[in-house]
Amino acid sequence: MTILIHALQALLIVLGAPLLRGWVSKIKARIQRRQGAAVWRPYADLAKLFRKEDLVPPLASGIFLAAPRIVFCATATATLLIPVFHPAALLGAPGDFVLLVALLALARFALVLGAMDGGGAFGGMGGSREAMVSALAEGPFLLGLTSVAILARSSQISVITGWTLGQNFFDVSAVHLLAFSTLAMVAIAETGRIPVDNPTTHLELTMIHEAMVLEHSGPSLAFLEWAGAVKLSLMMSLLIALFFPWGMADGPTLQAIALSAAAFLGKIVMLGLVLALFESSIAKLRTYAVPDFLGIASATGFLAVVFTLFGER
Amino acid sequence: MLGANLIQLSFLASLASFLAAVPAAWFEGRSKRWQGLPSFILMIGLLLGVFVAGAQLGSAAPPQFDFSKVTPFAFALKIDRLSAFFLLLICAVALPVIWYSRSYLPRHYDPVKIQWIWALSSLFIFSMVLVVAAASAFSFLMGWELMTLLSAALILVDGTSRERLHNLFIYLVMMHAGAAAVAASFFMFLPVSHDLYFSSLRASGFLLSPGARAAIFLLALVGFGAKAGIIPLHLWLPRAHPIAPTPVSALMSGLMLKTAIYGLVRFSFDFLGGGPAWSGYVLLTLGAVSGVLGILYASGEHDLKRLLAYSSIENIGIIFMGLGASLIFLADQSPAYAVLALVAALFHTLNHALFKSLLFLGAGSIADATHTLDLNELGGLLNRLPNTGIAFLIGCVSIVGLPLFNGFVSELLTFQSFLAGATLHVPAARIVLPLMAGTLALVGGLSAACFVNVFGVAFLGRPRTDAAESAHEAPQGMLAGMSLLAMACIALGIYPRLVLEPLIALAQTLIPTATLPAEFTGLQRLLAPAAVAMLALALITMLIRGRRRVTAPWACGLPGLSPRMQYTATAFSKPIRSVFAAVYKPDRDLSVLPSDHSYFPTAISYRSVRTTSYERYLYRPVTNAVVALANQLRRFQTGNIQVYLLYIFLTLVTLLILLGLRK
Repeated sequence: MTILIHALQALLIVLGAPLLRGWVSKIKARIQRRQGAAVWRPYADLAKLFRKEDLVPPLASGIFLAAPRIVFCATATATLLIPVFHPAALLGAPGDFVLLVALLALARFALVLGAMDGGGAFGGMGGSREAMVSALAEGPFLLGLTSVAILARSSQISVITGWTLGQNFFDVSAVHLLAFSTLAMVAIAETGRIPVDNPTTHLELTMIHEAMVLEHSGPSLAFLEWAGAVKLSLMMSLLIALFFPWGMADGPTLQAIALSAAAFLGKIVMLGLVLALFESSIAKLRTYAVPDFLGIASATGFLAVVFTLFGER
Repeated sequence: MLGANLIQLSFLASLASFLAAVPAAWFEGRSKRWQGLPSFILMIGLLLGVFVAGAQLGSAAPPQFDFSKVTPFAFALKIDRLSAFFLLLICAVALPVIWYSRSYLPRHYDPVKIQWIWALSSLFIFSMVLVVAAASAFSFLMGWELMTLLSAALILVDGTSRERLHNLFIYLVMMHAGAAAVAASFFMFLPVSHDLYFSSLRASGFLLSPGARAAIFLLALVGFGAKAGIIPLHLWLPRAHPIAPTPVSALMSGLMLKTAIYGLVRFSFDFLGGGPAWSGYVLLTLGAVSGVLGILYASGEHDLKRLLAYSSIENIGIIFMGLGASLIFLADQSPAYAVLALVAALFHTLNHALFKSLLFLGAGSIADATHTLDLNELGGLLNRLPNTGIAFLIGCVSIVGLPLFNGFVSELLTFQSFLAGATLHVPAARIVLPLMAGTLALVGGLSAACFVNVFGVAFLGRPRTDAAESAHEAPQGMLAGMSLLAMACIALGIYPRLVLEPLIALAQTLIPTATLPAEFTGLQRLLAPAAVAMLALALITMLIRGRRRVTAPWACGLPGLSPRMQYTATAFSKPIRSVFAAVYKPDRDLSVLPSDHSYFPTAISYRSVRTTSYERYLYRPVTNAVVALANQLRRFQTGNIQVYLLYIFLTLVTLLILLGLRK
């Protein structure tokens, strides 16, 4: 039973990811007073891409086709670490949040290599920018996770979730506020959303993520798009698990799981709404202002860790 | 009990075969009949070394050798667990490097030079083994000095141009200053210890006054820090490592730096038995600075071997951070976490030896195929050197610390020891150690950016020059050496228990504790399932393969996309270099001709020289002071022999008076 729930929660993140993306685009379209595409549209896009052929540049190596698949595998493996319905996950041991960060890094490494293998001008450009953003995002990512780990006295994500479940929501500490803002900023940078990167841009010179996937097509592009969507829902689920886990099931009963699934859906719908509102109300930063954005994230992460000292111990 | 005599004999045989490789090299130069003899003897010696080390790693009865009857000073060897681990590291990593050299050397050097390289490098390995197996100050210092001189000689084999001699001079000066510091730290024990056997140093460590302990620690830190290339004592490293013959670069970066780690662990954990907390903070700070700056300097390089040399500084920084954390835990009475941090540092030492040697060998293969090490002149090599490319990729992924490869395991352990810092009693440590997790993450992120650049520019995309276009795969022997190292990286990444258990046992002999932190057991629960999940998913995604069509990449709809339009290594690292511009402080020199028409120039020349600030602000004042002092001292040097005799006489009288006063 527990194994089934573990598998279900990972599957939910992976399979529901395109829906979340569709939902965010729908809200953004509505804010712009457009009708917008249906929320199911990303599934149709994926299905279409999977049916199409792979276009390969003439001098590309095997990495070009392998990279999108590795990106997907690494991102999907990372979802096994996230507790969704109950404070436990398929993979979990002390220090597993480092594995989470490292799996995302592995995905990014493969993504940049795939981009550079295209042999065009834009792949390297996108890769170079992505390398900068991710190099600067890694520090705040781990600092934010470290601070909540210190509060919960465990470096295992599901144990941290379990600890937070036992706390009172209104008993929120400064560390939580700081860590949440750090991780939210990191999530925006990691998933390539406004103000760090514009996922809907059509101008090559402003692209980061889109420039990297420019050469990919067909199933390769489908894997990349899907992995991108999974990453978004993974980061959101991580934020929910670490900061708003209330509503999660405490036992493997059907009723509790159904309740926690409903709670999770409600929370992720709300987070999607917040993301869409945030993205619609802010302009994309210049590429060279992105380090400042991540600098703020590092500073809040730093403070979050420092403030753990004043917690109740 | 596997006969103690057998172990002793094998160790002596291993030492003897390192020495026997020298005449074998001479024979090889004389006649075709002896072709391959020195490398064969050397490999037998290394295999014997691996056997001895493997047997001793799990045994509590170290074999000892005392030659003081036949040597003027106390010359003794002993292989306890710490020595055995480093002996294993040296022999096991040198083995593939030697295998690689067997086919590499004949392609690049004439027989006379090969003869020299074999003779010198077998002695070089001998000297490293001597350092880690030494059981008295004399044998240690002898090995230490030989190691410096032999590596310098190996650099000279490759050529004697002026610039090379200058770099070599800097290397020798810094190494000798370091050796002096190491020797001094040994002699500081003399007031309380009656001889310089390691066993008596260990026994007398607790008798020293706190001041003397601090002085010993600092001197050892300077001496070993210079050898390890810790910033700011790193000046020689990016100069000396790249100019050696490639297999020697691999030995220097992969193994020689590790002897410094050995020395530091021997002094601070074994002789001094930990120390005050500040010593931990010193190591931690030095490590963090070296980690961040080392990888930043590496990112700015486009010469592959220099880049790898700078990245060695980064990795040494990570090791120092682990050692520092361990000392802090030890001072705070939490030995379990001290074990964790020490194991993390030692594991990373082994890992760095594996992947750095692999990357240097890969660089050698690239140079072999294209005759250049400038990344900006490479490109598209993966199609031409597929096996080298895969091995090099494994090296890159391991050094970045991505999961399922060995670098990840040691970085994960280091992270966990930093996190455990939150359980300490001292508030300062509770802040500093968790913050170091952020620093380590920054280093990891930057090294990912650096090595994705290296692999992407060199091996992917389209060839940027004809040399890269006409490259060809390396021969079997070179590939075999690299694949052995690559397989070790993967094996330790998925199944780290192979090394972890002996390392825990080793750490427990240095830090007596019965309890072990839960982090060790969790590791295996995490890595193996993650590997299985990744592989299963990879199999599923591999099944989905559509039709393929070859088309030109996107060029905004315009024709004429040339390989030069790809990002170069320099362009790729530009965003990071501009974010961290304050660190690089480049000297830029832009001149536009004619100077009065800056908007309509006929010629523009631009030059940018980086990272000279250390020389300018740190080393230049020191060398100036030394030269000024030497000028003052010249007054004593009259050249008149009577005056010198007077000096000797005066010294003698002064010493006699001093002795009389003390009595």
